[in-house]
Amino acid sequence: MAVKSIAHKKSMAMGSRGLARQGWVTGIMMVLPYTLFFLLFSLFPILYGLRVSFYDWSLLGDKEFIGFLNYTTLLQDEEFRDNLLHTVLFTIVSVPLICGVGLLLAVLIHGIRRGQAFFRAAVFMPYVLSVSVISSIWVIFLQPYSGLFNQILRTLGIINSEIFWLSEPMLAWASIIMSTIWWTVGFVFVLFLAGLQDIPTSFYEAGQIEGANRWQTFWHITFPSLSRITILVVVLQTIASFKIFGQSKLITGGGPAGATKTVVFSIYENGFQTFQMGYASAIAFVLMIVILVISVLQTLILRKFES
Amino acid sequence: MTTMDRAYMYVSRIVALLLAVFFLIPIVWMLLLSFTPEGQPILGGGFHFSFANYAKVLSQAPIFGWMGNSLIVSVITTAMVLLLSSMAAYAFSRIRFPGSKVLFLLFLSAMMIPAEATLIPLYLFMRDIGLLGTRTSLILPAVAGPMGIFIMKQFFDGLPKDLEEAARIDGAGFFKIWYRIFLPLSRPALAALGIFTFIGAWNDYVWPLISISDKAFMTITLGLPMFQSSYVQQYALPMTANALAAIPVLLIFLLFQKQIIKGIAFTGGKEM
Repeated sequence: MAVKSIAHKKSMAMGSRGLARQGWVTGIMMVLPYTLFFLLFSLFPILYGLRVSFYDWSLLGDKEFIGFLNYTTLLQDEEFRDNLLHTVLFTIVSVPLICGVGLLLAVLIHGIRRGQAFFRAAVFMPYVLSVSVISSIWVIFLQPYSGLFNQILRTLGIINSEIFWLSEPMLAWASIIMSTIWWTVGFVFVLFLAGLQDIPTSFYEAGQIEGANRWQTFWHITFPSLSRITILVVVLQTIASFKIFGQSKLITGGGPAGATKTVVFSIYENGFQTFQMGYASAIAFVLMIVILVISVLQTLILRKFES
Repeated sequence: MTTMDRAYMYVSRIVALLLAVFFLIPIVWMLLLSFTPEGQPILGGGFHFSFANYAKVLSQAPIFGWMGNSLIVSVITTAMVLLLSSMAAYAFSRIRFPGSKVLFLLFLSAMMIPAEATLIPLYLFMRDIGLLGTRTSLILPAVAGPMGIFIMKQFFDGLPKDLEEAARIDGAGFFKIWYRIFLPLSRPALAALGIFTFIGAWNDYVWPLISISDKAFMTITLGLPMFQSSYVQQYALPMTANALAAIPVLLIFLLFQKQIIKGIAFTGGKEM
């Protein structure tokens, strides 16, 4: 009792300034543990990576400062250019597909009252699996003779001879894209579904009064109301597509003949198979800059939308 | 309801059902193959249910060991992320201290940095400090991700300001307010963040691929392709291994479906 009252008096005497000081010490103490992790395992690696990218840095041999040589070499490296092209093409094809399928599924399933939880779960389920599991499932699924996919297509009368999905560049990419849609569309779908649920019903009532048909309703009410989410989804998917690696490593092994290798594949091969750490770091930096530019564009566009 | 409306309703339901079936086929087929001995037909041949594949896979590869590694890494990562990010997020949300805005902005911008861009320096750094190839090397970078701070700060910012006033008058410090009032109140946010962190850590592929080379320290995502590469033209055993790796996360998903789906909507689609 006595101790408490003394403490009370003391704090009264210190006034708000004393409390504020105690506050900021606690604040710093609470932020400190995470900050240490961040400095050591997020910020430091970025700066270290930037440094490495200016060196001829092999894993065991010498390190030699070579300025921008890694970056200029990159411009003439045909394999890197191919891999960059593959990545860009994959992004251009897969982003609209994933976003479109996600929106379509969201609109379809949003309209279903009974059993909506089942549909939602079915579409989202593959998203929680790892790339190792989904890749292996699809490799077996796509086997030319015994795979279920060709069997289904044959039963439906769509094909009459086996398709060798993984042995031709275009088909290999089609396989990677199909499996990627199956794996990740649930995420986009959930975001669109949440967006659809946030549209006030009064919007639709207004449309009904004006006699809008289903297509007009979608085009003039639903789609514009989803614009914020659409931008977000497109940007997130673009970034994710640029980082594609696991599927091409595990489904096609980068083949046939390197046709499905990507930018991250270049980092992996140069860094951990030929051990050119400097060169691989330069590629990683190019990738990071591309992704930063996309992120900044997203921020700018979203801000413009909100004001 | 007009005939058009009714027609639309039926058509959309049928299309949705077909699509749902399409989404489920690979998973169902995985499970069917895993319960069917190699070489026996599944379609049209009378289905013979058997656990033989599971026994074989478990005797041929240290699947449980790999899953154990995944579990250790995922649980520790999740616990640390929940603890450290909710603590820091509380400070950012409720305490004014010098440099708080700058620090928060720094964390915010770090969210744009892809993990793939730091693979090389992380590899060199982990090698230099002697942690390369250990489970610890898988945990540390995962804890350093700033995502948790944003999810938690967003949630804390939404809690009413006068919530902690009474506690303050009673003489409770910020630290006490954080764990006595804010943590219990933020259970839904902690659950969502925890589930995402766990699944993310369990499924991580690229960094373990680079860090871990010793078979004993492999996680299940890493061990799986290793095991399967030795099987050509055989599908039952690889599929069984897949099923073993998939079942834990599928169960988590089925149990926490609502929190997972709500959590994604809540974070407004910030990257997981």
